[in-house]
Amino acid sequence: MTHVPGQPGAVHSPRGVDLRFGSNAVRLSSRQWIAVALIVLVTFALAPSVWQRAEPLPAGADERIPYDLSNDYWLFGRYAAQAGERGDTLLVGDSVIWGEYVTKHETLSHYLNAQPSAARFANLGADGTHPVALAGLIEYYGGDIARRSVVLHCNLLWTASKKHDLQTEKEFRFNHPQLVPQFVPRIPCYGEPYSRRLSIAIEREIPFFAWANHVRLAYFGKGDLPAWTMEHPYGDPLAALRPNMDRPEGSPAHEPISWTARGIEKQSLAWVDLDTSLQWRYFRRTVELLRARGNRVFVVVGPFNEHMLEEKSRETYGDRRRAVEAWLEGQGIPHFAPALLPSELYADASHPLAGGYAQLAQQLLANEAFVRFLGGAAGR
Amino acid sequence: MLFHTWTFLVFFAIVYPVYRVSKGTRFELWWLLAASYVFYGWWNPLYLLIIVYGTLADYFIVVGMDKVGHKKWWLAASVVSNIGLLAFFKYAGFITVNLNLVMAGMGLSYAIPSPGVLLPVGISFFTFQSMSYIIDCYRGDVQRERSLLRYAVYVSLFTQLVAGPIERASNLLQQLRHDRTITREDITDGLSLFVVGFFKKVALADYLSLYVDKVYTAPGEHQAPALLLATFAFGWQIYFDFAGYTDMARGIARTMGFRLMLNFNNPYLADGLGDFWSRWHISLSSWFKDYVYIPLGGNRHGEFSTYRNMALTMILSGIWHGANWTFLIWGVLHAGGRCLTRGLEQTPFYRDRVPRFAKQLFVFTFVMFTWIFFRAANVGDAWLIISRIFTGGLSDPMFPVVALGLVMVLWVYQFMYESKLRWMLELTPVRVGMVVAAIVYMAVFTAPGAQSFIYFQF
Repeated sequence: MTHVPGQPGAVHSPRGVDLRFGSNAVRLSSRQWIAVALIVLVTFALAPSVWQRAEPLPAGADERIPYDLSNDYWLFGRYAAQAGERGDTLLVGDSVIWGEYVTKHETLSHYLNAQPSAARFANLGADGTHPVALAGLIEYYGGDIARRSVVLHCNLLWTASKKHDLQTEKEFRFNHPQLVPQFVPRIPCYGEPYSRRLSIAIEREIPFFAWANHVRLAYFGKGDLPAWTMEHPYGDPLAALRPNMDRPEGSPAHEPISWTARGIEKQSLAWVDLDTSLQWRYFRRTVELLRARGNRVFVVVGPFNEHMLEEKSRETYGDRRRAVEAWLEGQGIPHFAPALLPSELYADASHPLAGGYAQLAQQLLANEAFVRFLGGAAGR
Repeated sequence: MLFHTWTFLVFFAIVYPVYRVSKGTRFELWWLLAASYVFYGWWNPLYLLIIVYGTLADYFIVVGMDKVGHKKWWLAASVVSNIGLLAFFKYAGFITVNLNLVMAGMGLSYAIPSPGVLLPVGISFFTFQSMSYIIDCYRGDVQRERSLLRYAVYVSLFTQLVAGPIERASNLLQQLRHDRTITREDITDGLSLFVVGFFKKVALADYLSLYVDKVYTAPGEHQAPALLLATFAFGWQIYFDFAGYTDMARGIARTMGFRLMLNFNNPYLADGLGDFWSRWHISLSSWFKDYVYIPLGGNRHGEFSTYRNMALTMILSGIWHGANWTFLIWGVLHAGGRCLTRGLEQTPFYRDRVPRFAKQLFVFTFVMFTWIFFRAANVGDAWLIISRIFTGGLSDPMFPVVALGLVMVLWVYQFMYESKLRWMLELTPVRVGMVVAAIVYMAVFTAPGAQSFIYFQF
């Protein structure tokens, strides 16, 4: 192959080899590439904020992230920012805070708001956010709640077995893999290939990708536009894309019946030692992260459904709960472990039913440390 | 490692600056070899044993050819070595299954155990690339490469290692022998090729695969319109998938100063089967032409020999694609079609009176029909699809209008590109607008999670 004099880029091909540029490629010059880069960068930078203006969030006191958008971390960030701007006390945790078996008008935040108190509470629970994921959620998407008052829920269910604690060698799909550490520390049951982990690690650093994920999840279901058109072959994607987060919420995500009516039997759980627990380590990390960001933190431990536990398992749970309280005490973090609720007010091992949340709210508002916390004392 | 992933981006972000700094020094080839082996070993480090074996064997065979003489014997040794590799990794399972079927038919109770080996990614590509070097050396068309390191880079260069283009020593090895100047145009052209390839793969091929997979995995559950549309969709899917890969490969190579050969040239605008094969997977077609068709005699020994050679070449091309009867039938169909259209092209009526568009439509329809065998899981499924297309009911195919629209736009684009309206596509706002739209569409509307390329299985 030789270069043709006077014609940059033009070449003579060796015999039988066609070296032409391409049959139908869109060939851009360097100036045109600069124009493309500028337009794309401006689009990437502005699209999330422009979209945010076009898509107001519902402002009601009991609003929570829609169940089907639990993986929409950009939306979580917006809910968090909106509640933070209002000066709400933020309830942060997994589906116990979110209200797995109740409507949005039967959650802990609802009953707390219903009590005569100066504070207003926002439900920032997200379904399936075990402590390792919750740490990632706060770290990458919770920046806007810095310096706010946070009530953090500690659900010891996530240390109830090696599997809950993500410590089994056997791989399985757990909730929110996009929020967990991708490389260090190693999570033995996390089986994503390294290519995918690298993608996750890069994309969660760039807000545009979180917004794009929001657009796909909120308007095109669980897949993306191509997958949506497979389900709606004659649908108009532009019509589906009209910004709107006002979604009527019907019945609870799961049937609101007690654990006994559900047919669950008493269980003996293989609690993980807190010293070796990954979930507990990341719960502590979340607390430390929040405090480092200037948040006032109050921790609610449980109430776990001890009615469901065999005697020995219940004793171990008690030991674990006391160890958690001791650590919180040692760190000077105000906390409260509510009394066990009546058996019929639990839907499973850790989720209360509506009546349970009402009682929990009463217990909290009667707790001296909590009242002091709401009054602005302690927590930093 | 797939081109359209962050992993590759990070890999390239490390490889490229070091390559630029080392270019022209003794370290350059070492760096390229290390990068290529990391790229290939990313799938499975054990695959490296195969590529290292193939490289060493072919390098020393040519050394023997040059120094010891008896060229034919060395060539035979190389063919046995390379075809042996392919036979073991690619065809052993297929041969075993069919031998067992024959033995069972003869009433023998013995069954040969299945070899159970994994098909290394891209083995057919780098094996053929290596063979082309040996045959060219045998013929005296290229000089023996004295540096084992340079030869190893020629065989394994990551830009086109796993799915081509199947390069020739006269092109790529020659480029490796000389220092390359990388111009600003190389960078912008490389980027242009890469982005277009990325779009073809992510926005088009992967999209169409959703419909194709749904229909082809359960053809018995679908009726004529869905089967027909899925077949057409697969025709476009495989084109976008493979041409997309090639564009990305050529684009990456271009930014490094390498010029890889053109592999696709608007194949669905072909007006004859011969024309189709000069536009589709050009590096493979020309390989078969140069190393099979012409050595068989080409068109030099009369009509019958010409048709026989053409048919044999097409059938071998079918077998190259995979160890399945469906690929063999696909090759046989193309052999028949190639002979038929060559015959037609020799009649004045077809040549001069039939409009080009009609010829294009005929070739397009024929090629789409043959894709049924290429895509179907087995011959039974292929027959089922064909019979249902012609006899099945007429239920709603539920084919996404958006996908149809995208394919139509691309088709119109190709027609415009080959017409007098091409100037419209070359206006700056049109070009910039198209690339911006493609990037934004992919970033917003397609989910992350890269799908592999169809041709990696070959």
